[in-house]
Amino acid sequence: MSSTSVVYLKDHNAGKFIEANLIDGLTREDVEKAEADWTPFLDEQVKRMEETGVPRRQWPQHRHWNWRDKYDATEEYLAYRMFGIECQSQIQGLMLVLTAGKNSKIPSQKGKPLAYVHFLAAAPWNLASIVAEPRFSLVGSILVATAIHLSMEEEFQGRIGLHSLPQSDDWYRKTCGMTDLGPDQTVQNLRYFEMTPEQASGFLR
Amino acid sequence: MEPAGTPSRKTMTLNLTETEMKALDDLSATKDISKTAVLRQALRLYQMIEVRMARGEKLFFEHDITKEKAELMML
Repeated sequence: MSSTSVVYLKDHNAGKFIEANLIDGLTREDVEKAEADWTPFLDEQVKRMEETGVPRRQWPQHRHWNWRDKYDATEEYLAYRMFGIECQSQIQGLMLVLTAGKNSKIPSQKGKPLAYVHFLAAAPWNLASIVAEPRFSLVGSILVATAIHLSMEEEFQGRIGLHSLPQSDDWYRKTCGMTDLGPDQTVQNLRYFEMTPEQASGFLR
Repeated sequence: MEPAGTPSRKTMTLNLTETEMKALDDLSATKDISKTAVLRQALRLYQMIEVRMARGEKLFFEHDITKEKAELMML
Protein backbone atom coordinates (compact mmCIF):
# COMPACT_ATOMS: atom_id res chain seq x y z
CA MET A 1 0.00 0.00 0.00
CA SER A 2 1.37 3.36 -1.04
CA SER A 3 1.00 6.76 0.63
CA THR A 4 2.49 10.18 0.14
CA SER A 5 3.43 13.22 2.19
CA VAL A 6 4.71 16.65 1.19
CA VAL A 7 8.42 17.53 1.39
CA TYR A 8 10.41 20.44 -0.04
CA LEU A 9 13.41 20.28 -2.37
CA LYS A 10 15.68 23.18 -3.25
CA ASP A 11 15.25 23.97 -6.95
CA HIS A 12 18.55 25.45 -8.14
CA ASN A 13 17.17 26.84 -11.40
CA ALA A 14 14.30 28.67 -9.72
CA GLY A 15 16.37 29.52 -6.66
CA LYS A 16 13.60 28.52 -4.29
CA PHE A 17 12.07 25.60 -2.43
CA ILE A 18 9.60 23.54 -4.37
CA GLU A 19 6.93 21.07 -3.24
CA ALA A 20 7.60 17.37 -3.77
CA ASN A 21 5.97 14.10 -2.72
CA LEU A 22 7.61 11.59 -0.43
CA ILE A 23 6.18 8.23 -1.49
CA ASP A 24 6.18 5.37 1.00
CA GLY A 25 5.58 2.09 -0.78
CA LEU A 26 6.51 2.66 -4.39
CA THR A 27 4.75 0.65 -7.04
CA ARG A 28 6.59 -1.34 -9.69
CA GLU A 29 5.44 1.29 -12.22
CA ASP A 30 7.08 4.06 -10.13
CA VAL A 31 10.36 2.16 -10.04
CA GLU A 32 10.25 1.31 -13.75
CA LYS A 33 9.60 4.97 -14.55
CA ALA A 34 12.57 6.00 -12.40
CA GLU A 35 14.83 3.46 -14.12
CA ALA A 36 13.61 4.60 -17.54
CA ASP A 37 14.46 8.22 -16.66
CA TRP A 38 17.69 7.64 -14.74
CA THR A 39 19.48 5.02 -16.84
CA PRO A 40 19.79 6.90 -20.17
CA PHE A 41 20.84 10.07 -18.33
CA LEU A 42 23.43 8.18 -16.31
CA ASP A 43 24.72 6.31 -19.38
CA GLU A 44 25.08 9.59 -21.23
CA GLN A 45 27.03 11.17 -18.37
CA VAL A 46 29.32 8.15 -18.03
CA LYS A 47 29.96 8.27 -21.79
CA ARG A 48 30.80 11.98 -21.51
CA MET A 49 33.16 11.25 -18.60
CA GLU A 50 34.87 8.54 -20.60
CA GLU A 51 35.25 10.78 -23.67
CA THR A 52 36.60 13.70 -21.67
CA GLY A 53 39.11 11.56 -19.79
CA VAL A 54 37.54 11.77 -16.35
CA PRO A 55 39.31 9.10 -14.23
CA ARG A 56 37.20 6.00 -13.69
CA ARG A 57 37.35 6.42 -9.91
CA GLN A 58 35.27 9.61 -10.33
CA TRP A 59 32.53 7.89 -12.31
CA PRO A 60 29.35 7.31 -10.28
CA GLN A 61 29.97 4.18 -8.25
CA HIS A 62 26.30 3.24 -8.12
CA ARG A 63 25.91 3.30 -11.92
CA HIS A 64 25.29 -0.48 -11.96
CA TRP A 65 22.40 -0.35 -9.44
CA ASN A 66 19.17 -1.63 -10.91
CA TRP A 67 16.23 -0.47 -8.82
CA ARG A 68 13.75 -2.66 -10.65
CA ASP A 69 15.73 -5.73 -9.61
CA LYS A 70 15.86 -4.45 -6.02
CA TYR A 71 12.10 -3.92 -6.08
CA ASP A 72 11.46 -7.41 -7.46
CA ALA A 73 13.81 -8.99 -4.90
CA THR A 74 12.18 -7.34 -1.87
CA GLU A 75 8.53 -6.57 -2.67
CA GLU A 76 7.27 -9.75 -0.99
CA TYR A 77 8.90 -9.02 2.35
CA LEU A 78 7.25 -7.20 5.24
CA ALA A 79 10.71 -6.21 6.45
CA TYR A 80 11.57 -4.01 3.45
CA ARG A 81 10.21 -0.53 2.73
CA MET A 82 10.97 1.40 -0.45
CA PHE A 83 10.65 5.19 -0.51
CA GLY A 84 10.87 7.68 -3.34
CA ILE A 85 10.71 11.44 -3.79
CA GLU A 86 8.67 12.58 -6.76
CA CYS A 87 8.84 16.10 -8.16
CA GLN A 88 7.92 17.51 -11.59
CA SER A 89 6.68 14.05 -12.65
CA GLN A 90 10.06 12.41 -12.05
CA ILE A 91 11.49 10.37 -9.22
CA GLN A 92 14.27 12.48 -7.67
CA GLY A 93 15.59 9.90 -5.21
CA LEU A 94 15.05 6.34 -4.03
CA MET A 95 15.75 4.46 -0.81
CA LEU A 96 15.34 0.85 0.30
CA VAL A 97 15.27 0.20 4.05
CA LEU A 98 15.32 -3.07 6.02
CA THR A 99 13.37 -2.88 9.29
CA ALA A 100 14.14 -6.24 10.89
CA GLY A 101 17.14 -8.29 11.92
CA LYS A 102 19.85 -5.60 12.07
CA ASN A 103 21.40 -4.53 15.35
CA SER A 104 23.68 -1.69 16.37
CA LYS A 105 27.44 -2.27 16.57
CA ILE A 106 28.23 0.94 18.44
CA PRO A 107 29.29 -0.07 21.99
CA SER A 108 26.75 2.20 23.75
CA GLN A 109 23.91 0.80 21.57
CA LYS A 110 25.21 -2.70 20.96
CA GLY A 111 22.54 -5.30 20.16
CA LYS A 112 19.70 -2.79 19.91
CA PRO A 113 17.74 -2.83 16.66
CA LEU A 114 18.20 -0.30 13.90
CA ALA A 115 16.78 0.51 10.49
CA TYR A 116 19.31 -0.51 7.85
CA VAL A 117 19.45 1.66 4.75
CA HIS A 118 20.21 -0.92 2.09
CA PHE A 119 20.34 1.50 -0.84
CA LEU A 120 19.92 5.24 -1.21
CA ALA A 121 20.43 7.27 -4.37
CA ALA A 122 19.49 10.65 -5.76
CA ALA A 123 18.56 10.92 -9.43
CA PRO A 124 21.76 11.39 -11.47
CA TRP A 125 20.81 14.96 -12.53
CA ASN A 126 20.81 15.91 -8.83
CA LEU A 127 24.39 14.80 -8.18
CA ALA A 128 27.10 17.45 -8.14
CA SER A 129 29.65 14.71 -8.78
CA ILE A 130 28.02 14.03 -12.17
CA VAL A 131 26.56 17.31 -13.43
CA ALA A 132 27.88 20.85 -13.14
CA GLU A 133 24.50 22.21 -12.09
CA PRO A 134 22.33 19.79 -10.11
CA ARG A 135 18.59 20.38 -10.46
CA PHE A 136 17.49 19.74 -6.89
CA SER A 137 19.29 19.50 -3.57
CA LEU A 138 18.18 18.05 -0.21
CA VAL A 139 17.11 14.73 -1.78
CA GLY A 140 19.65 12.68 0.20
CA SER A 141 19.01 14.59 3.44
CA ILE A 142 15.25 14.06 3.17
CA LEU A 143 15.74 10.34 2.58
CA VAL A 144 18.09 10.02 5.57
CA ALA A 145 15.57 11.94 7.70
CA THR A 146 12.88 9.56 6.46
CA ALA A 147 14.97 6.56 7.55
CA ILE A 148 15.39 8.18 10.99
CA HIS A 149 11.64 8.76 11.30
CA LEU A 150 11.00 5.17 10.22
CA SER A 151 13.45 4.00 12.88
CA MET A 152 11.54 6.03 15.47
CA GLU A 153 8.22 4.64 14.27
CA GLU A 154 9.67 1.15 14.77
CA GLU A 155 10.77 2.12 18.34
CA PHE A 156 14.47 2.04 17.32
CA GLN A 157 14.88 5.61 18.62
CA GLY A 158 16.34 6.93 15.40
CA ARG A 159 19.15 4.37 15.11
CA ILE A 160 20.07 3.72 11.47
CA GLY A 161 22.97 1.90 9.81
CA LEU A 162 24.33 1.62 6.28
CA HIS A 163 27.30 0.65 4.16
CA SER A 164 28.55 3.56 2.09
CA LEU A 165 30.12 3.65 -1.35
CA PRO A 166 33.52 5.42 -1.10
CA GLN A 167 32.22 8.49 -2.97
CA SER A 168 29.61 9.01 -0.24
CA ASP A 169 31.77 8.35 2.84
CA ASP A 170 32.39 12.02 3.55
CA TRP A 171 28.73 12.92 3.14
CA TYR A 172 27.59 10.36 5.71
CA ARG A 173 30.48 11.24 8.04
CA LYS A 174 30.41 15.02 7.83
CA THR A 175 26.97 16.10 6.60
CA CYS A 176 24.97 13.41 8.37
CA GLY A 177 27.27 13.20 11.40
CA MET A 178 27.21 9.40 11.46
CA THR A 179 29.77 7.27 13.26
CA ASP A 180 32.26 5.64 10.91
CA LEU A 181 32.89 2.06 12.11
CA GLY A 182 35.42 1.37 9.35
CA PRO A 183 35.58 -1.07 6.44
CA ASP A 184 33.40 -4.17 6.66
CA GLN A 185 35.09 -7.21 5.13
CA THR A 186 31.75 -8.97 4.85
CA VAL A 187 30.30 -6.26 2.59
CA GLN A 188 32.89 -5.63 -0.15
CA ASN A 189 35.05 -3.75 2.35
CA LEU A 190 32.62 -0.82 2.27
CA ARG A 191 32.74 1.46 5.31
CA TYR A 192 29.93 0.86 7.78
CA PHE A 193 28.21 3.90 9.31
CA GLU A 194 25.72 4.18 12.13
CA MET A 195 23.65 6.92 13.65
CA THR A 196 22.88 6.86 17.38
CA PRO A 197 19.65 8.31 18.82
CA GLU A 198 21.61 11.42 19.81
CA GLN A 199 23.11 11.83 16.33
CA ALA A 200 19.65 11.29 14.83
CA SER A 201 18.23 14.10 17.00
CA GLY A 202 21.12 16.32 15.94
CA PHE A 203 20.51 15.56 12.27
CA LEU A 204 16.80 16.38 12.49
CA ARG A 205 17.37 19.63 14.40
CA MET B 1 9.49 13.99 6.18
CA GLU B 2 7.93 11.31 8.35
CA PRO B 3 7.11 8.05 6.59
CA ALA B 4 3.55 8.53 5.51
CA GLY B 5 2.72 4.89 5.20
CA THR B 6 1.91 4.05 8.81
CA PRO B 7 -0.93 1.64 8.13
CA SER B 8 -4.01 1.33 10.31
CA ARG B 9 -3.39 -1.29 12.97
CA LYS B 10 -5.48 -4.09 14.33
CA THR B 11 -5.39 -5.38 17.89
CA MET B 12 -5.29 -9.01 18.98
CA THR B 13 -5.04 -10.87 22.25
CA LEU B 14 -2.07 -13.18 22.58
CA ASN B 15 -2.04 -16.23 24.83
CA LEU B 16 1.46 -17.19 25.95
CA THR B 17 2.82 -19.57 28.55
CA GLU B 18 4.75 -18.11 31.45
CA THR B 19 8.02 -19.22 29.84
CA GLU B 20 7.11 -17.68 26.51
CA MET B 21 6.06 -14.45 28.20
CA LYS B 22 9.38 -14.39 30.10
CA ALA B 23 11.27 -14.78 26.80
CA LEU B 24 9.22 -11.94 25.32
CA ASP B 25 9.85 -9.74 28.38
CA ASP B 26 13.58 -10.47 28.20
CA LEU B 27 13.77 -9.62 24.49
CA SER B 28 11.77 -6.46 25.08
CA ALA B 29 14.19 -5.38 27.81
CA THR B 30 17.35 -6.35 25.89
CA LYS B 31 16.27 -4.68 22.66
CA ASP B 32 14.71 -1.71 24.46
CA ILE B 33 11.49 -1.96 22.46
CA SER B 34 7.93 -2.85 23.44
CA LYS B 35 6.65 -6.42 23.32
CA THR B 36 4.53 -5.47 20.32
CA ALA B 37 7.64 -4.26 18.51
CA VAL B 38 9.46 -7.51 19.35
CA LEU B 39 6.63 -9.56 17.88
CA ARG B 40 6.49 -7.32 14.81
CA GLN B 41 10.23 -7.94 14.29
CA ALA B 42 9.75 -11.66 14.78
CA LEU B 43 6.92 -11.77 12.25
CA ARG B 44 8.93 -9.92 9.61
CA LEU B 45 11.90 -12.24 10.02
CA TYR B 46 9.71 -15.35 10.06
CA GLN B 47 7.88 -14.22 6.93
CA MET B 48 11.20 -13.54 5.15
CA ILE B 49 12.53 -16.97 6.11
CA GLU B 50 9.35 -18.67 4.95
CA VAL B 51 9.40 -16.96 1.55
CA ARG B 52 13.05 -17.83 0.98
CA MET B 53 12.66 -21.42 2.12
CA ALA B 54 9.67 -21.81 -0.17
CA ARG B 55 12.06 -20.88 -2.98
CA GLY B 56 14.30 -23.77 -1.98
CA GLU B 57 16.84 -21.81 0.08
CA LYS B 58 18.24 -22.98 3.45
CA LEU B 59 18.96 -21.04 6.62
CA PHE B 60 22.43 -21.36 8.16
CA PHE B 61 24.23 -19.94 11.17
CA GLU B 62 27.97 -19.37 10.76
CA HIS B 63 30.34 -19.13 13.71
CA ASP B 64 32.10 -15.77 13.57
CA ILE B 65 35.57 -17.20 14.25
CA THR B 66 35.59 -20.86 13.21
CA LYS B 67 33.31 -20.19 10.20
CA GLU B 68 31.60 -23.48 11.03
CA LYS B 69 28.11 -23.59 9.52
CA ALA B 70 25.01 -25.17 11.03
CA GLU B 71 21.68 -25.40 9.28
CA LEU B 72 18.72 -24.10 11.23
CA MET B 73 15.92 -26.64 10.87
CA MET B 74 12.56 -24.97 10.41
CA LEU B 75 9.23 -26.67 10.88
